[in-house]
Amino acid sequence: MIFTIFKKELKETLRDRKTIMSMIVIPMLLFPIIFSVMFKIQHTIEDSLNKKVMHIGVIGGHEIEPYLLRLENLPKEFGKLKVIRFTDSSQLKRQIEADSIQFGMLFPADFTASEQAMKTLTIPIYYKMSEIGVSDKAKMINDAIFKMAQAERFQKAKIDEQALTPYIYDYVNIASDQETMGNLVGGFLPYIFIVFGFIGCMYPCIDLFTGEKERGTFETLLTTPVTRWQILLGKMGVVVLSGFMAACFTLFGIFLSLKVFNIVEDPHIIDAIYGMFTPQSIILLLFLLFPLVVLFAGVMIPISINAKSFKEAQSIITPLNIVFIMIAVIGMIPGISLNLMTASIPVVNVVLGMKAILAGNIDWILLIISFFIMILLAGVSVAISYRKFDDERNILN
Amino acid sequence: MIEIQGLSKQFQLTKQQRRELSTEEKQTTVVDDVSFVCQPGRIFSLLGANGAGKTTILRMIASIYKPTGGSIKVNGIDVIQSPQKARKIMGFLTGSTGMYARLTVNELVKYFADLYGMDKDTFEERKKYLFDLFDIHEFANKRIGKLSTGMKQRVSICRTMIHNPDVVIFDEPTNGLDVISADSIIQLIRDCKAQGKTVIFSSHIMSEVELLCDDLAILNKGKLIFNDTFENFKAQMTKPNITEEFIAQVQNANL
Repeated sequence: MIFTIFKKELKETLRDRKTIMSMIVIPMLLFPIIFSVMFKIQHTIEDSLNKKVMHIGVIGGHEIEPYLLRLENLPKEFGKLKVIRFTDSSQLKRQIEADSIQFGMLFPADFTASEQAMKTLTIPIYYKMSEIGVSDKAKMINDAIFKMAQAERFQKAKIDEQALTPYIYDYVNIASDQETMGNLVGGFLPYIFIVFGFIGCMYPCIDLFTGEKERGTFETLLTTPVTRWQILLGKMGVVVLSGFMAACFTLFGIFLSLKVFNIVEDPHIIDAIYGMFTPQSIILLLFLLFPLVVLFAGVMIPISINAKSFKEAQSIITPLNIVFIMIAVIGMIPGISLNLMTASIPVVNVVLGMKAILAGNIDWILLIISFFIMILLAGVSVAISYRKFDDERNILN
Repeated sequence: MIEIQGLSKQFQLTKQQRRELSTEEKQTTVVDDVSFVCQPGRIFSLLGANGAGKTTILRMIASIYKPTGGSIKVNGIDVIQSPQKARKIMGFLTGSTGMYARLTVNELVKYFADLYGMDKDTFEERKKYLFDLFDIHEFANKRIGKLSTGMKQRVSICRTMIHNPDVVIFDEPTNGLDVISADSIIQLIRDCKAQGKTVIFSSHIMSEVELLCDDLAILNKGKLIFNDTFENFKAQMTKPNITEEFIAQVQNANL
């Protein structure tokens, strides 16, 4: 009987456009869209900066000629540069504001004296923060020029550069690409799971409980020889499956981005993602996801049963998503990892567990504790749902 | 046969309901010590104004609500003890019944047949009989949401009768229906009687009662104020028509 109800509810749910959108289409297209937008923006910025002639405004006397010569002789990878001389700083600033000049430099009047005395010079550089990438490019250009000027001074002073550079700290990342990406992706994937698992549950849940009440179909269902437990479990099965599938489709979206749409080009990122999503890690993620989705369903069902209309149910359930995300944010705090205490905090344990799975740092005992804590809570939520569903005052409008 | 003895129902009031009703009472009595018997092959009519308790009694018979006191037996089956068993032999139809708009007629009828545990052959045979009777074949594969009100009503009847119930409960079955759709329900009730089924229906439309009723019970504020055959009701009438007689009886009970 449970399967009969499940089958019918699933059929009806899959014929509802709202559910299809929230369960399949949006989760599946999320990552391809995020990835393509992200990489597209990155490429566009890089391309436009490389193609664009960088107009550099300078204020200074004839003594800055050597500097300008260095600037003009920079290699091709620095892009096309055009130096324009100014005499008035306010005019220079106006041109920067009007985007005619990308950045401007003001060489002080004591430039030559300071150079000869080998003193440190401060050169103000004007730019617009709102122009993405300009400050980085300006820094890159000036660092190169500075290196040249520094080398010249060392030569003049006959000092071995190494004598003044006792150490170079070379930070070598010994974490694997998977671990690095796991921590990065593991940081946000659980939130995506929570958001889409929740939304995936929400529409079917409201439709199957409040909607059935509103449409007046509950009464006839309750006159059939089926127990309330069977009705609840049949319906709940569809709600859980919808949430679960929505989360799975986000995962599927990642693979679509890599395999079908070829959006990610960096081989390091591709390798790291493949390293994270092994069959074992996917199974473990889904294991942790299951009780979380049951918990979502168990929280939403009593609200949906109680609500008198679709609108009322939606207005109560929607903000709950934020509550779950807020709890999950604890798992994002730096330094917090899965331990005995965090493993016993529902939702936080799922976030941290998923993070550990994706980074490949699995502590089986903590993972099992997390799973059972979630199962326990999901069980309690199912019991509360049944209590509400069995209360005859709530079933019929 | 439906045997009802000392049936009562109280509902707990929530804080909000108490506020809305301006009462301090924590519960309200909707049905109070009601007893009657519905015989097979006869049509039992439950008459009463809105809020008299008709729907609550019918829902208790259908085991949607649990009674606070008393007993209900349907064909000898205790509804409170064995609700699933009792539901197997009952059909329930209301005028306000909604249907699953995203299912086709075939899918809906099959779903209910499955819930009643019908085997394939019996289902196919019964479905053909009902589809022929109500002329459903031509729109059997259409989604219910696309059907007209009249078509939906025919499907609703078909759904109620698919498992060939011995006892049929009609709760204000013609409520909100046009004359043609209402007529098909009246015909169905007559057919049920002809087939020897036990029929109970609630209404506040006197013309319907006059057309169909064999036995009559009048409810007022949850209490039974009349319970006898329709013939005896007519014989005892002091007013020129049954509508006025009904109003007079209710007013007398309220004095």
